[in-house]
Amino acid sequence: MKYLISVVAIAVLPWIATTLYAENTDSSDSRGYVTAGFETNTNWYQNDSKTAATVPDGNFGSNNHLKLDYYNSKFSAGMQLEAYAPALVGYSAELKGVALTNFYVDWNDEDFSVTAGTFYDQFGSGLLFRSWEDRAIGLNNAVTGARVIYSYKDILNVKALWGMPRYGMKFSETQVKGADLSFVLSKLIGLDNTHIALEGSVLDRYEALDADRITDGCLPNATGWSARVNAESHGFFLKAEYVDAGQKYYYNTSYAGEGEMYHKKRGNAQLIETGYNGNGLGVNVSLRRLEWMDSKVVTQGASNVNMLNYVPALCTQYTYMLTTLHPYGARTGEITSRFTNSGEIGGQIDVFYNVKRGTWLGGKRGMKVHANFSTYHTIAEEGTFKPGNLLFRDISVDIEKQWTKKFKSTLLWSYQEFTPSYGASRTTWLSNIMVADLLYKFNSSLAARMELQYLVTFEDQKDWMAALVEVSFAPHWSVYAADMYNHGDTKVHYYNGGFSYSKSRTKVSLGYGRYKAGYICSGGVCRQIPAYTGANLSLTMLF
Amino acid sequence: MKRFLFCLAAMLVAASAFAQVPSVKVENSKGETFDTASLLEEATPMIVSFWSTTCKPCIRELEAIYESLPDWLEEVDFRVVAVSTDDSRQLAKAKSFAEGRGWGSDFTLLFDKNQDFMRAMNVPVVPHVFVIDAKGKIVFSHTAYVQGGEVELFEAVKKSVRK
Repeated sequence: MKYLISVVAIAVLPWIATTLYAENTDSSDSRGYVTAGFETNTNWYQNDSKTAATVPDGNFGSNNHLKLDYYNSKFSAGMQLEAYAPALVGYSAELKGVALTNFYVDWNDEDFSVTAGTFYDQFGSGLLFRSWEDRAIGLNNAVTGARVIYSYKDILNVKALWGMPRYGMKFSETQVKGADLSFVLSKLIGLDNTHIALEGSVLDRYEALDADRITDGCLPNATGWSARVNAESHGFFLKAEYVDAGQKYYYNTSYAGEGEMYHKKRGNAQLIETGYNGNGLGVNVSLRRLEWMDSKVVTQGASNVNMLNYVPALCTQYTYMLTTLHPYGARTGEITSRFTNSGEIGGQIDVFYNVKRGTWLGGKRGMKVHANFSTYHTIAEEGTFKPGNLLFRDISVDIEKQWTKKFKSTLLWSYQEFTPSYGASRTTWLSNIMVADLLYKFNSSLAARMELQYLVTFEDQKDWMAALVEVSFAPHWSVYAADMYNHGDTKVHYYNGGFSYSKSRTKVSLGYGRYKAGYICSGGVCRQIPAYTGANLSLTMLF
Repeated sequence: MKRFLFCLAAMLVAASAFAQVPSVKVENSKGETFDTASLLEEATPMIVSFWSTTCKPCIRELEAIYESLPDWLEEVDFRVVAVSTDDSRQLAKAKSFAEGRGWGSDFTLLFDKNQDFMRAMNVPVVPHVFVIDAKGKIVFSHTAYVQGGEVELFEAVKKSVRK
């Protein structure tokens, strides 16, 4: 509790300061300015025999973040304080206590910048390296060290960094050194309506090894690189990226005192994104092949968000309850006693179209149509492009239509097929999901929204249904109630309800409900969570 | 910890003034690097809206702004900057999504794929909107969106012009 008191005490300081000085201070004040953000997610847990809900000691969990930044012209400095009292159920066990986790000073000039302390960065699409924060899944692998960026006339951009990525509440002993270069060819040769950039990165990761690994010939350094082309002209675009992620070591599960204790693999990935955006039409095609692309901050770390690169699932990330029961997570390569799969190969196509007003289909107010097809397979033979067993497939169509000034509907159909064995067998589970999302505006401040959802499947827990009703009173209040019911097998209701109030820079929401065990996904990265029942208080403030 | 709190309070009181738009490198629709500080060069008020393709309230808010924009522009001259916080996974999709809704013609579209601009503005969650006056001063800020909330937002834009 003392951690929580500390965080709440600190949270009010920016408010006091900004209030004191907000009245008579000009924006060009030479003293600079401070901004701050505070966020708490606090749960009270209770026993629930229906779902075997997880209840931590003290029936309480609380994740708290306070971030402060000071800006003065080209100079900035900041810090982030985190407190877990303790962490919410399902979050990494390494998140505990209270700590000043991030701190930095930065000088950002017209053509160069220098950062010392904690920073986030990304090379290309992040397949080789990405440091970022995602509080929804408890991920923060910020790097503490130094970074220098130099730009020359929008033609050349060079970046070099060194540091130690964060693991849990501390910075790990793993070290990363890297450089990234972007050369904008189109600027150099003076093309006005075409953008062509040639890019490349190199990253070295160092981690001291234990005796077993050294004996087995593993090396503490792994050096990877990537090469990229980005082009855009008159709405058409093409991005291509090749990644050599360096040497990887996977434990030999059949090791019995002889032979190699660790399999040595070379991580590699190929990504192509192409399409067209223009005239109310957006089409994009992504093709990707991954092989041994797992990259951890700490090799032996047990954290469920232990990652140094970004390998998201390239498919639609849904938000409706029944569409997220079996989310797909990219397969980066695995060797288990059951089977070996070196990665995944697949792609997706998205089409967005704005049917214009006044047309036969669009009617008076137009219509938005979106369709997606995505499919991913294991790699049948290591080192090849030959697809193996199906991992995941999704076909979906959603149509959004404003019927009258007051009434709008969104209809979604999704066909999802996935393997419960992570590709070890050809067995797949199919489900068809239908969603109707209806919005009615009674007047300028009162509106109601309803979601009706149904999932049909012959596998697992059979059919599900779900409904949500939300009433909003602009500009501050919103109340909702929802239920997700498995009537095909378990007969369990997953109900929840609550309200939220937002005013200016503050939002507070209070809810109560029963939540299913499964995966929580954010940005294409998923984390397994246990079932829980209880109340949630969420508060965000910006100062 | 008490000493730390005291130092922090002293630093804040000594340094506070109106927040502005920091210089952060993001992407524009063509994939070119865009410095957010250059948003202030036009010297007209603007709404800066942070959104993502997986945030339904964000999309509802931008749709409401998009629908009302022709009427609003008859009263006040201002711009709308929509900043996608989708990461590289959704980046191409976010561009197609925005085009498929016609936003590209009316909004300035920016793409903050590693959330650097979002972090620099201390935005904890999306949706979040700022109203920035012609001098670059943040005069209004709002977290979350409920249907009809765009009316309050436009009032803030009008107020920023009257100041």
